[in-house]
Amino acid sequence: MLMCRDLAEIASDYIDGELNRRQSLTVKMHLMMCKDCRTFIGNLRASSNLLSVHSASRPDEQFLRQIDERVAEALNNRGTKGSEPD
Amino acid sequence: MDTAARPEADTSLIDDLKRGDPGAYRQAVREYSPGMLAVARFYLDHSSAEEVVQDCWVTVIDAIQKFEGRSGLKTWLHRIVANRCKNKLRSSKREVAMDFSESLEPELANRFNATGRWDLPPKLQFHDSADTLMENGALSDCLDKHLSALPETQRSALMLYEAHQHKSDDVCNILDVSASNLRVLLHRARQKIFLMVETFQETGEC
Repeated sequence: MLMCRDLAEIASDYIDGELNRRQSLTVKMHLMMCKDCRTFIGNLRASSNLLSVHSASRPDEQFLRQIDERVAEALNNRGTKGSEPD
Repeated sequence: MDTAARPEADTSLIDDLKRGDPGAYRQAVREYSPGMLAVARFYLDHSSAEEVVQDCWVTVIDAIQKFEGRSGLKTWLHRIVANRCKNKLRSSKREVAMDFSESLEPELANRFNATGRWDLPPKLQFHDSADTLMENGALSDCLDKHLSALPETQRSALMLYEAHQHKSDDVCNILDVSASNLRVLLHRARQKIFLMVETFQETGEC
């Protein structure tokens, strides 16, 4: 029998549709009977959705400008090389 | 969205990059560097990761000429970063340390009794949608803080899967982890974010 702890262990697999049909059915049956696990799954899903709208690894603008400069330099060098006679 | 899902925008950007258009590079650097940095941080410390991402952009100028679009531009860029990081690790003979032994966070595991039932079940339901929740500046700051405290391996897996919307197969490929280990990384990271939001909603504190 699937206990609440077992469900918590595979909750992300359930949310992402990674369980097989039998496992998924077992989880669904547990959720029908267990309000606490329904809250848990709902909250874990909400937490995961939060991350979809929150891009945390935003590099700072200074870092991006450093890349711009290196790219511009490399593009210029390529342009210069390209115009050199064979 | 995966870049493959919007091929027209991608194709036009790729053409501009192939022509060496500086404006296209500035656009692409802003669009793709966050994900590239997330990949690099999986393998390397912060300053080495930034260095690799910068180097990769310079490499892209020539490499893009041979890009045939079999994968999306994003996936292609992420693979370039991953390969460069792996080479760097190989040359320094360092390995990424990861723990896949437990799928439950200890703080959550302790909330079940010996029979496997909830001892301390979640009390509140997170009613608000993600967008509404993120309008709360304090919660957004708290999320930033907790995300930066996650082990790099978990954070990168989470960012690539959730924020950059890669498919599992791509994430496994880019981060060089098995499908089952990716599941553990994702689940552990999500539990930490769940616990953080729960504490925030109950106490208003981060």
